[in-house]
Amino acid sequence: MSRLTALVLSAAGLGAVYAAPYVLPSFVISLITLVFISGLVAMSINLLAGEAGLVSIGHAGIAAAASYGIAWATLNGMGVGSRVLLALGLALVVSAVFGLTTMYTRGIVYLMISLALGMVAYGLALRLSGLTGGQNGLTGIVRPDFVDLWWQFYFFTAAIFVLALLAIWVMRRSPFGLTLRAVRDSETRAASLGYSVAATKFIATMLSGLLAGIAGVLAVWNSEFISPAAASFARSAMAVVMVILGGTGTLFGPLAGAAVVVGAEHWLSSYVERWPTLLGLAFIAVVIFMPKGLIGQLPRRLRPETDRPQKPAESIEPEATTHTSA
Amino acid sequence: MSANFILVQVMNGLSFGALLFLLASGFTLVFGLMRIVNLAHGALYLAGGYVGIVTVAATGSFFLALLAGAVAAAGIGVITERFLLRRVRGNELPEVLLTVGIAFVIGDLALAIFGGNPQSLQAPELLSGALSFASFGYPRYRLFMIVLALAIGLGLYVVQRKTRIGAIMRAGVDDREMTGMMGINVDRVFAGMFLFGSALAGLAGVAAAGQLTMRPGADTDILLFALVVVIVGGLGSVEGAAVGSILIGLIDSFARVWIPELSYFAVFAPMALVLVLRPQGLFGMPE
Repeated sequence: MSRLTALVLSAAGLGAVYAAPYVLPSFVISLITLVFISGLVAMSINLLAGEAGLVSIGHAGIAAAASYGIAWATLNGMGVGSRVLLALGLALVVSAVFGLTTMYTRGIVYLMISLALGMVAYGLALRLSGLTGGQNGLTGIVRPDFVDLWWQFYFFTAAIFVLALLAIWVMRRSPFGLTLRAVRDSETRAASLGYSVAATKFIATMLSGLLAGIAGVLAVWNSEFISPAAASFARSAMAVVMVILGGTGTLFGPLAGAAVVVGAEHWLSSYVERWPTLLGLAFIAVVIFMPKGLIGQLPRRLRPETDRPQKPAESIEPEATTHTSA
Repeated sequence: MSANFILVQVMNGLSFGALLFLLASGFTLVFGLMRIVNLAHGALYLAGGYVGIVTVAATGSFFLALLAGAVAAAGIGVITERFLLRRVRGNELPEVLLTVGIAFVIGDLALAIFGGNPQSLQAPELLSGALSFASFGYPRYRLFMIVLALAIGLGLYVVQRKTRIGAIMRAGVDDREMTGMMGINVDRVFAGMFLFGSALAGLAGVAAAGQLTMRPGADTDILLFALVVVIVGGLGSVEGAAVGSILIGLIDSFARVWIPELSYFAVFAPMALVLVLRPQGLFGMPE
């Protein structure tokens, strides 16, 4: 895809996002809002999975920490600014726990630990009922005035999403992005070049956690409600499905995956009672039949330049020949 | 705090540790040989538990229930291994994610079939009530759990150390390719191991159903404990699973009475500590 086409497509995409509330019914817009929020969580997982090779299956725990933070702060009458600060701070604290406990691991061990941490977050949400409201959760969390109306909230969410997309795009081209990929491809090589593997992974986890935290704030503002289910294994796993379905390591994959999963849940759950079974089967089917994901399967010339497949982790090709396209 | 109280807590910890060992040993064996983290292990436990409950209700035989639970879980395991996992063999991540999908399907189908109410099975006469030594009485069923885990652990040890199958298993853990070169059908060994690990999960489910309850969410709850045990003990090590199970069982038992609000956290703290100080786990080999 040439630079010009990419520019035209981006402009068209932005135009569509801008025009949507004027032409689509409001329930479709709120569904799209949900896609953006889910897409942000998927993006935060994709940041780790694609760039660092670390698949987290506990990220709902981080997002939920922010959600509970904002819910608690709202109910205790804090100002908007301090609410958001508290929420993101909480998400970062939880991310730091994720980061510190996983920075010496990789692959499936990383996945296992993130899963265990996510479950602990769920357990805490359920059991610290004095703060979290236990099983019932916290209700009546109103949005701040500036995003009170549905279309205001849509534009706000869309803007955040586009900013996050840009931030990731920039990060992937930054020296830090290269360091991450170096660590992913060979920890030994990165370490012998003088990079601290553990610190790199820790920072990546914090960045990813910040993104998940932002999504957590938006999620509460969207539903005006939070319960332990937000931190559940199912929620984390669903976000991972979005990432793989869309295409791990691609820029637009998380959005594509979120659109399909959120859409499917919305349309199918009214016909099919057993949504988790369906989700599980979808998981299996995607892993077996579409390991590269929707974006990853597009013919090469249709793919955005940033979404060309990266070098596989075990490849022994010299570094210089592989990133010519990036 | 009386000596009696401490003794009861220690025994409670050991009996819960026994259950954890039944689960974690299968989990860790499968990982050691196949490098598969089977996240459907908790779901197999749940499936085994429900099958056990149904069997006891139908036949009244607890022994038959143990057998049926193990066979049912083994059956699900075989199907999973033969038809799904083989398609992505050798790709660690897809393998794990596949088992997540299976866990969802089993958990949701169990909810559809058995409903949301907690269920448990009626322990046989022989294992009901308490056994007393002098002034100290303790539930027979919990003692049975400890004996069962000891028997399985001892059996595993003997098989691993003293038999040809055990030698093949250990060889497979050390070097899969070389084991294949020696003319051993590694695929069949894998299938056998997955079957065995699944059967252990099913057995654990039936045993647990006599003491805890089977309900939606019990699968992920117990999976968390199994994960913590193998992370602490070291992935792939049966000794690690044994030590980890006892440790976590004891910590959980004491935390429940001393700091009930934070007991959930107490189990997780040793895991975090191990990860920071010894990331490969107490008995794990560094990668």
